[in-house]
Amino acid sequence: MIRIEGLTKQFGDHTAVDDLNLEVRKGEFFCFLGPNGAGKTTTIKILTGLLRPTRGRAEVGGWDVTTHPVEAKALLGYIPDTPYLYEKLTGREFMRFVAGLYRLPEETVATDGEELLALFGIAEVGDRLIEQYSHGMRQKLSFASCFLHRPEVVVVDEPWVGLDPKNVRFVRHFLKEKTREGVTVFMSTHSLSIIEDVADRIGIIHRGKLIHTGSLQETLATARHPGSLEDIFLQLTEEERQP
Amino acid sequence: MTGLWAVLWAKGRIARHSIASVRNESKLKVGVVSISAALLWIGAFIAFREGFHWLKNFEVASGPSYLGLGDLIMLRLLSVFALALFLMLVFSNALVSFSTIYRTKEVAYLLQAPLTVREFFLVRLVECVVFSSWASAYLGSPLVLAYGLTTGAPWPFYGAALAFYIPFVWLPAALGSLITVLLVRWYPAMPRYTLPAVACVAVVVLFFYLRATLIATETPDDSLFLGTEISRALGVSQRMQSPWLPSHWASQGIILASWGRYGESGFYLLLLTANALMATWVATEAAARLFHVGWSQLAGLPGRSARRAGRGFFAISDRAFRPLPNPARALVAKDVRLFWRDPTQWTQFLLFFGIMAVYIATLRNREPESVPHYRSWIAAMNIGASTLVLATLTSRFVFPLVSLEGRRFWIIGLAPITIRQLVWQKFWLSVATTSAFTITVVVLSCIRLGIEPIAFTLAVYTIIAANFGLSGLAVGLGSLYPNFQEDNPARVVSGMGGTLNFLASMAYISLVVAALTVMLQWEALGLYPNRAAFWWTLAAVGGFITVLSAVCTLLPMKLGLRNLMRTEF
Repeated sequence: MIRIEGLTKQFGDHTAVDDLNLEVRKGEFFCFLGPNGAGKTTTIKILTGLLRPTRGRAEVGGWDVTTHPVEAKALLGYIPDTPYLYEKLTGREFMRFVAGLYRLPEETVATDGEELLALFGIAEVGDRLIEQYSHGMRQKLSFASCFLHRPEVVVVDEPWVGLDPKNVRFVRHFLKEKTREGVTVFMSTHSLSIIEDVADRIGIIHRGKLIHTGSLQETLATARHPGSLEDIFLQLTEEERQP
Repeated sequence: MTGLWAVLWAKGRIARHSIASVRNESKLKVGVVSISAALLWIGAFIAFREGFHWLKNFEVASGPSYLGLGDLIMLRLLSVFALALFLMLVFSNALVSFSTIYRTKEVAYLLQAPLTVREFFLVRLVECVVFSSWASAYLGSPLVLAYGLTTGAPWPFYGAALAFYIPFVWLPAALGSLITVLLVRWYPAMPRYTLPAVACVAVVVLFFYLRATLIATETPDDSLFLGTEISRALGVSQRMQSPWLPSHWASQGIILASWGRYGESGFYLLLLTANALMATWVATEAAARLFHVGWSQLAGLPGRSARRAGRGFFAISDRAFRPLPNPARALVAKDVRLFWRDPTQWTQFLLFFGIMAVYIATLRNREPESVPHYRSWIAAMNIGASTLVLATLTSRFVFPLVSLEGRRFWIIGLAPITIRQLVWQKFWLSVATTSAFTITVVVLSCIRLGIEPIAFTLAVYTIIAANFGLSGLAVGLGSLYPNFQEDNPARVVSGMGGTLNFLASMAYISLVVAALTVMLQWEALGLYPNRAAFWWTLAAVGGFITVLSAVCTLLPMKLGLRNLMRTEF
């Protein structure tokens, strides 16, 4: 569902993403790991059509995000770490707005929209202005709106900020359940315990280069000594740092 | 619902909720702003109507050879107004569109949605039109209404004025957005000082163009009035009536509608609309091709290294503020850097500088040829113009200073300084910088006009006092009604607090200029019984200005400080 070929992004002399090649299959839960400034957000921004690559290409559902952005984005759902929401809209109006953006029929808001609001526990505050929402409620609305158009690929960038443990658990299970329904999830996070719990495959990026991909077991097997994912992550990124 | 309409629908709902949320605002603030805005509009309408009446009566009183002169001057006035408004709209749209199309957080959200770049650009263009043009409706409507009522225009005239208004504000929005898209595409690749250099050259060219236009002498068409001020004014205004200017199409079309010549008026409406649509198409196609490249460049602008310590403009300003103790010096250094590193800020300041240069360069000393009461009018109006410039500076650049601390308030909150120190630092920074600018303007303009010593001294004293009064109003009201959610200073200014500050500044200027005008006119007309009465009146006016400025400084500062101290960040 996601195919990245020779993806390179340069900002002046700085190469943020360097010849990245990656394929994520349908229904796969792919976790993207890397130290700060490794190129995770740049990759996600290219994948979601926010940035154009300097070289290479990224495809979502067979559509090139640069040449066919509208078709690619119609299949895509994106949840950023700090979601932008229109402060002066109510939760329900925001859902209606998102439905309009994705050209969904009006009834979808009344059916799927309400169902999602209820699922994420914000139906009761759906008629309040978003400016009155807490950070957690905003994040939940962001999740609810993301799934309104039934995306086939969901890109999630560190979604746990502001969520309480109960909601973290709910969202984790919700995303995992979605992958069982065939949705592809591409998640960037630093929460290694969550990765251990949900990831089908892990990719580690460092200094713009993808230095490792594999399942959790494969990743753990790369360790010189038995250890946790955290140990492996530190070992891989540390080795890269040394010439 | 398509993506385009979904966004426009959401914007409509947001506007509705924003208007509804006014009821949550302080009733005093809403009342003061509404009443002041209404009074200002009514005042402008009365002034325009009286002016047009005077022109009508003037041609009748001046004899048969002057028949039609009033109409001619009214036409020229509308043309000049339309041209000034058009140029302002192009400029303000270029600035507004930069933040609207590239900078707000909403942009990233919309870009990841399945909208085409064309749809995205059109949505942002509509927002630019709405955002930048409401003020032109507020300013233009009393003028058009006064003109219609004075000339007894038929009712379709008002419909025509409304019909012309839409393409008239749309065209500069499209042009301004196009300029921004082109600049963002090409500017980041340019060497460091290219844009400031181009901006300076543009201001110099504009300066010489306006100077050449404004000091134009009589034209053969106006031979009847040769050698008079009327002839000069007609000469100036005629140069602003090029048939290539969209402002000319709008003013001509509206005037023709007032004469009942709807066919010709319709031609100009179609001409203006066609050009607005063409400009929209060109801008949209340019955006479709260039937006992403520019956006990517902006997103990854290689951090141009700041100048090394001890060199450049900031080093000079640092040296100038060295006598200040810390943390005030650190705060000033931060404000100066933030201002000059934000192109939307310094370009507007540069434009002010250019306008003031034009103002001073076109002033002429008419003392030998004019009567005393005319000279006294000129002196009072010069003070009025200078304080208006000052009010514009404080409203645009000083009022948002506290709001712009915004979400960074925690940094200051954690630092070992008080909010009182912070707010007073903004006040003194404002007084120091605006004084340097406006005192220079007053001194140079008084020299150019050959203002007499007493009026000269009074003008300098007034501008010094006004620097305190208007800075106090801007900083105080900026602290009383801050908008910590907004990072764009232009949007902070256009809020209710900014409007209140602007109206309060206008009220201050009106009172000061009225007092000065009465005093100077009485002197010019010889109405004082003796010299002592004049000096007493002078002292009373000076005292009035001092007290008014002190009240305008201390009261808003006190209220603003009280509000900030109660606010939880």
